[in-house]
Amino acid sequence: MFGFSGAALSKIRAMQNGGKRARHSVDQWDRQMMDRDRRLTGFLRGQTDNVLAPAGFELSNAWKVERGFT
Amino acid sequence: MAARQPRFNQQVLIDTTPLPDSIPKVPEIGASSAPLLSASYFIGARCKAYGDDYMLCKTESNGKGETECLREGRKVTRCAASVLDDINKSCLEQFRAHWECLDNNNQQLWQCRRWERPLNKCVFDNLKLEKTIPGAPENEIPVHLRKRQIFAHSIATQ
Repeated sequence: MFGFSGAALSKIRAMQNGGKRARHSVDQWDRQMMDRDRRLTGFLRGQTDNVLAPAGFELSNAWKVERGFT
Repeated sequence: MAARQPRFNQQVLIDTTPLPDSIPKVPEIGASSAPLLSASYFIGARCKAYGDDYMLCKTESNGKGETECLREGRKVTRCAASVLDDINKSCLEQFRAHWECLDNNNQQLWQCRRWERPLNKCVFDNLKLEKTIPGAPENEIPVHLRKRQIFAHSIATQ
């Protein structure tokens, strides 16, 4: 019973992650790198081994905008 | 630059103003996180001087490193791009196998030693770059050369 639910959950997680195992213990470095992957490939878990970045990659890093607190 | 990391943002701003023409244009590296991690020790082997220069510049610039260390950063980018280019040309199969394993295993290098050994051998034969872990104690076998990885999930991937 646990085997079935465990297998089903891991299948759902793999579907959510593009066929790969889910990432765990993700820290700020990993979040930054995954955001860079999303800017490079379009998917959060997408990977590519091109040498040069696509055009416009230098300008696609977003500033996070906060409203001022008073 | 800013006092703290932004936490409560609801909007993002994408600034599409390009850099001024006085700054030489170097194309950014197009490799994502897993291939970059896989090639990182080889980039370190070839680009150690440029990397050390860049880190020294950032440490000494007291917070202004983003604008003052662009020159060293360009050298690092060009060198890393050259390493990736060479690896793609000579060892593509082993490289792809290694970083696909890393991607499946939460970017943990110790789960993928089985694919790392042929990659290290191929890069050493073709590019003469050897992976060394800086700061490892001298009198022990380095972690990547040990037969048994104590934290790996399964014997098959060690």
